[in-house]
Amino acid sequence: MMIYLDNAATTKPFDGVLRKMSELYEERFFNPSALYTPAYAVAKEIESARESICRFLGSGGTVYFTSCATESNTWVFSCGIKNKKGNIVISAGEHASVYENAHALIAKGYDVRIVNLSADGTVNQSDLMRKTDQNTTLVSVLHCNNETGAVNDIAALARSVKKVAPHALFHSDGVQALCKIPVRCADAGIDLYSVSAHKIGGVKGVGALWVRNGIRLAPMLLGGGQEKGERSGTENTAGIIGFAEAIRLFSQTDANAVADMRHAVRRTLLATDNVLINESENNSPYILSASISGIRSEILQRKLAERGIFIGLGSACSSRLKKNRILSAMGRSMSYIEGSIRISFGAQNSPIEIPAVCTALQEEIAALRT
Amino acid sequence: MENIIVIRYGEIYLKGKNRAFFERILIKNIRYKLKDFGCKLHAGRSRYIVSDYPTKQENEVVAALQTVFGIHSLSVAVCVPNDLETLIKHVCLSAPDSGTFRISVHRGDKRYPLTSVALAAKLGAAVLSAKPDLRVDLHTPEHTVWVDVRENGTAYIYGKVINGLGGMPVGCAGKGLLLLSGGIDSPVAGYMMAKRGLCFDAIHFHSYPYTSEQAKEKVIQLASIMQNTCGKIHLYCVPVTQIQEAIHKYCTDSYMITILRRFMMRIAAIVAQKQQCGCLINGESLGQVASQTLESITVTNDMVSSMPIFRPLIGMDKQEIIDIALKMGTYETSVLPYEDCCTVFLPESPVTRPTIAKAEEEEAKIPDYNRLLSDAVNKIEILKISQSETC
Repeated sequence: MMIYLDNAATTKPFDGVLRKMSELYEERFFNPSALYTPAYAVAKEIESARESICRFLGSGGTVYFTSCATESNTWVFSCGIKNKKGNIVISAGEHASVYENAHALIAKGYDVRIVNLSADGTVNQSDLMRKTDQNTTLVSVLHCNNETGAVNDIAALARSVKKVAPHALFHSDGVQALCKIPVRCADAGIDLYSVSAHKIGGVKGVGALWVRNGIRLAPMLLGGGQEKGERSGTENTAGIIGFAEAIRLFSQTDANAVADMRHAVRRTLLATDNVLINESENNSPYILSASISGIRSEILQRKLAERGIFIGLGSACSSRLKKNRILSAMGRSMSYIEGSIRISFGAQNSPIEIPAVCTALQEEIAALRT
Repeated sequence: MENIIVIRYGEIYLKGKNRAFFERILIKNIRYKLKDFGCKLHAGRSRYIVSDYPTKQENEVVAALQTVFGIHSLSVAVCVPNDLETLIKHVCLSAPDSGTFRISVHRGDKRYPLTSVALAAKLGAAVLSAKPDLRVDLHTPEHTVWVDVRENGTAYIYGKVINGLGGMPVGCAGKGLLLLSGGIDSPVAGYMMAKRGLCFDAIHFHSYPYTSEQAKEKVIQLASIMQNTCGKIHLYCVPVTQIQEAIHKYCTDSYMITILRRFMMRIAAIVAQKQQCGCLINGESLGQVASQTLESITVTNDMVSSMPIFRPLIGMDKQEIIDIALKMGTYETSVLPYEDCCTVFLPESPVTRPTIAKAEEEEAKIPDYNRLLSDAVNKIEILKISQSETC
């Protein structure tokens, strides 16, 4: 039996999502821009998906569909900066798709400021305020850290930023928070919010950018004028409609059950010598990050995989990179960073899987340490 | 007129009565490379002619021939009747419109009515009158037009000599076993020995789960790229996880690498004997790392007494090795970030001057040394390597 605990990397699509998508691929495969009735019905269904996702993220904005959250983040960085006089502020804990886009702007001569993390992995609010000023044009702070699950108080951060820099755009990467941490974007003071379908039981290839009403972005892709001219290209109809269905299904997840599963694994790890849990007081119940001294996490990962248990190592997107930017920023030493794992839960995990996971972790860590 | 490719061999030319043996292997290797083009290969004296290939595939045929060891050079030529009028016409077509040039004539057919020098002069004069912007420079011309008058009433005319890989045809010098890691050096070592005519199989040591599946895939990919020039390779993958664990458990840290390498040498020698390989090949370069000092090499060398160990890179700089890796196309794969040895088994300060006595003392600490050795040999996975798509 496979126990999949790398849901922060990607999730198994819900059966309901696949059924809906399959029906669209097989029977209603029409281009939604076409004028005949069945195609128009698909276009209407896309709009209905858009509305349901907008409702989910709170009123006061609209959603533009993209191919992934990396595209959404890249869009923010390619259009949110008016000129080189302003500065951009990001946190040190950003996902690579924000971090690398910001660094590309540094190479072009922009003033990009990087805010330190606190020891618990959240953004250091006082450092954020030190680095933000009235010339700040864009601030990007992720909602839930993809490696540790640390949740930033995004509403408080946005409010503080807007007091100093009322004209700055406040962007948040909400990929790991969608359906897991409640958010009302407009109420929280967020201007732009990136999300992705495949982290919540949708399929890969669909993301979205929520944009507050009144903000006009330069188009991401020019062409046939789809997505109100903001992001041309034939819509991923099945993916988009599946995305809305995934949100609906994921929202039915029992978050308390997930928190209990996390707690059980956390307890097992803490009972092991020289293990540090990388978490904040307000942490996502879906992510458990631990640093285990004296082992190499990738070996533990392979040993567990041999037993049918699949876990992650930090961020899947950057697990090939030797350094761990987030844990370094949190002040973890190299011997702990080398042994860092990320266990991430999803809607389809069951509590009956957890005892086997705890036993396997105990046994394999002990074996690797001998 | 017919488009042809002229192939010339180099070192084989120096061979005496056994030249036919080397030529047979070279021809076989060339035919293998050309098998998908449906062309003809005619083997003449000291040069071979490729003909009847589709013109649009000419570049691909040339590229394939450039991966054959033993070919010194090749030229894309036209084959024409060797009467003077035809020669003038085609030499004029091959000559550039301006700059300096020379005509270089070689007569395979000594019965031809004009000497080489006289024919070159006549052709040169004709070119000059047709293209007045050209100037003759016999010593350092910008362009040379070669005219090769053959015995059968034909001549080959060409304007460019393309270098081949040189060396000796793969297979003429026997068979070896290459110790192939995922690094830059060992594929180059194999390439260097293939250049001297050795064909080889490869042996790779992996320690899953301490090293990843990707690290093994990387080695398979390297072997596949090497096949482009080095001939068919069988890859023997040896699991050394248990050996590494035992060394880690019982031996002094600083000797971990030395003992592991002695294991590897011993396993490689056993496999080589089984597979009728006459030598081992590795990518050691003197002093490059702790395990490649004179003393380290002496200690690992001690495990193999029945066959020579060739180390073609022993006197080369890293940059020289990288240059060859880039040329043979393995560099990009070699630098992929999949480690072939887990840092768990890398001591902080490996010994640089080990001794055989101390190594044997360390090995004696491993209680089931022979069982570990035979287990590793028994669990060898033999992989057939498919041809790389870059071929």
